[in-house]
Amino acid sequence: MNPWLESALARAGQGIPADCLAPLRQASLAKLENTPWPTRKTEAWKYTSLKVLEKLQLANQISPATSGAAQNSGLAFDRIAITWQGGKRVTDLSGLTLPAGLSIKTVAELSEQESQWVSDTFSSVKPAQHLFGLLNDVLAQDVLVIDVEAGVEIAQPVHIDHQAIAGVEGHCRVLVRVADNAKLTVLETYQSQPSQDAAAQSFNTNVVEYQLGVSAKLEHYRIDLQTGTALSVGGCHVALAEKAALNSTLVGLGSELARTDFDIIHRGEFADAKLNAIYLLKDQECYDLHATVEHAVPNGTTLENVRGIAADQAKATFNGRIHIHRDAQKTLAELNNRNLLLSDKAQINTKPELEIYADDVRCAHGATVAELDKQALYYLTSRGVSRNDALVMLNFGFINALVDDMPNQDIAQWLRPILRDRFKEMAKS
Amino acid sequence: MLEISQLQARVEEKTILKGLSLSIKPGEVHAIMGPNGAGKSTLGYVLSGRDGYEVESGSATFNGKDLLDLEPEERAREGLFLAFQYPTEIPGVSNLEFMKAAVDAKRKANDMADLSSADFLKLAKAACAQVNLPLAFLKRGVNEGFSGGEKKRNEIMQMLLLEPALCILDESDSGLDIDALKVVADGVNSQRDGERSFIVITHYQRLLDYIKPDYVHVLSDGKIIKSGDANLAHDLEAEGYAWIESYTDDAQQSAVGSTTDGAA
Repeated sequence: MNPWLESALARAGQGIPADCLAPLRQASLAKLENTPWPTRKTEAWKYTSLKVLEKLQLANQISPATSGAAQNSGLAFDRIAITWQGGKRVTDLSGLTLPAGLSIKTVAELSEQESQWVSDTFSSVKPAQHLFGLLNDVLAQDVLVIDVEAGVEIAQPVHIDHQAIAGVEGHCRVLVRVADNAKLTVLETYQSQPSQDAAAQSFNTNVVEYQLGVSAKLEHYRIDLQTGTALSVGGCHVALAEKAALNSTLVGLGSELARTDFDIIHRGEFADAKLNAIYLLKDQECYDLHATVEHAVPNGTTLENVRGIAADQAKATFNGRIHIHRDAQKTLAELNNRNLLLSDKAQINTKPELEIYADDVRCAHGATVAELDKQALYYLTSRGVSRNDALVMLNFGFINALVDDMPNQDIAQWLRPILRDRFKEMAKS
Repeated sequence: MLEISQLQARVEEKTILKGLSLSIKPGEVHAIMGPNGAGKSTLGYVLSGRDGYEVESGSATFNGKDLLDLEPEERAREGLFLAFQYPTEIPGVSNLEFMKAAVDAKRKANDMADLSSADFLKLAKAACAQVNLPLAFLKRGVNEGFSGGEKKRNEIMQMLLLEPALCILDESDSGLDIDALKVVADGVNSQRDGERSFIVITHYQRLLDYIKPDYVHVLSDGKIIKSGDANLAHDLEAEGYAWIESYTDDAQQSAVGSTTDGAA
């Protein structure tokens, strides 16, 4: 066992609060003790090394020395924002003005009835053996529960705003329920605060579970802007009941360690999942997205469009697995992954996996890794556009369709200049 | 304006241009004709600075500057424009965004402020109208899904917006029906103002009925082997390129001579 894991388990053993989640968290702790630490030989971690984590020693909470003023995330539109710093929630929930039908509570604040569904749901959406999910189960200090009542449509996006703090390790955990016929938009943003000490690492596991009821709709954004030495291993897990619909957009920049596990489970028939994902890497950053879709029942649809660009010596990994169970007849699933390599030292490992056990399904998958289109670059520069500007245009053009496809224009407008800045940095090198 | 002297250039290991000389003055229209593989398109690419087109010897000066020493974008900002034979499709980059960036880059090089989006849009709309391109094409990806004729008209639209000093039209007539050909020719003719020069590369004489050249040059095996006035194009059309190639040996000398004469 490595020093970090040893210390994490010791902390977990002492820190589980005595609330309705305690039995579940104890069970996770027991499971953890039998879960092997991934190595390069572990298929799911083949391309992403956890070496950097093994000897990590960070403060376990923000102190006056490490906490900064809450960073302005730059979002100007109307939303319900909850901010975490280094895994610790800093927004006072009692100060939030919530529309009718939406509740945001800590586990301690739950009614007995609420405790019931929460303990039924917590840790049940994410895959059982996911190591960092289990670690988050036992290390998250302050589980937050967001609940939308049946039939209620919430217009304001709920913003899960997480800011990594240099020198601090934190574990943020949110459980979201969108009840039958309800509708919610959630924006998750993960940012790392610039630190005085460029080498100062942070580490976070950010796990959000979403439970969608019958005909519920979730519009979801997970925008991970952490870079540099912000280490993160996070998960986002969505369970769909009958006719539920998920429309999700995921954006990731790379860092020294950045891994996201995104799981979608079709539990009810006629559910619809759409996932658009973008990753943009430079320098020696790495980014690893494992997206898994489980079609456990018939008549589900999944459409996944994933596009990534890697510059310099960056390394991107995409594993897109669609698992169609034997009973999941009439499933319609498509997975498309397109990648662009901007340098011959950049690396993209892509592995689309369709695992089909039903015989009456329509599925397609494809993955490409291409180099920059030199002819297009020449065409743009031949009109007077500088090489750098042309590169920004071409790179933006490569992913533009997915940004245009974002249903929330406020979020798209906020994101575009961030991406443009990213492309400028990528073009420079 | 443009002085090309003994230009020799290769693509990969193959030498395509083998000592090409040409002199163009402001306001002149030069047609370059020749059989397939003569090096017509290569000339356009070498002048505009395409990667992989390597100059082995010779020179090209444009308004006194060593053209071959400039990056493609610098050549464009100096006023050189190549209308491509096969314009590149660039999905995800809108025509409008592209042309705004191109026009701004050129203005910046000339110490002019960026155009406002509204002002630029006005110009772009007018340019589209002039070449019969629906306005929706401004919003679409550059050449994305355009028909052959639409691509050619889009090239002329770009030319109208960039107001270059020298336009090289590389087979802008290929694949066009007669109506589209007229649109392209009208676009070009509207830009003839006694200052702006054109190199019209074409395989057929047809385009030259609409864009009247001052000079016609025959390019064969990387060299200009014959030069003359507009009548040369008609002779070529009647006789075919075989006719001219049989004269190659004699013609080489006279071609260089007449080009120099034309420029003098």
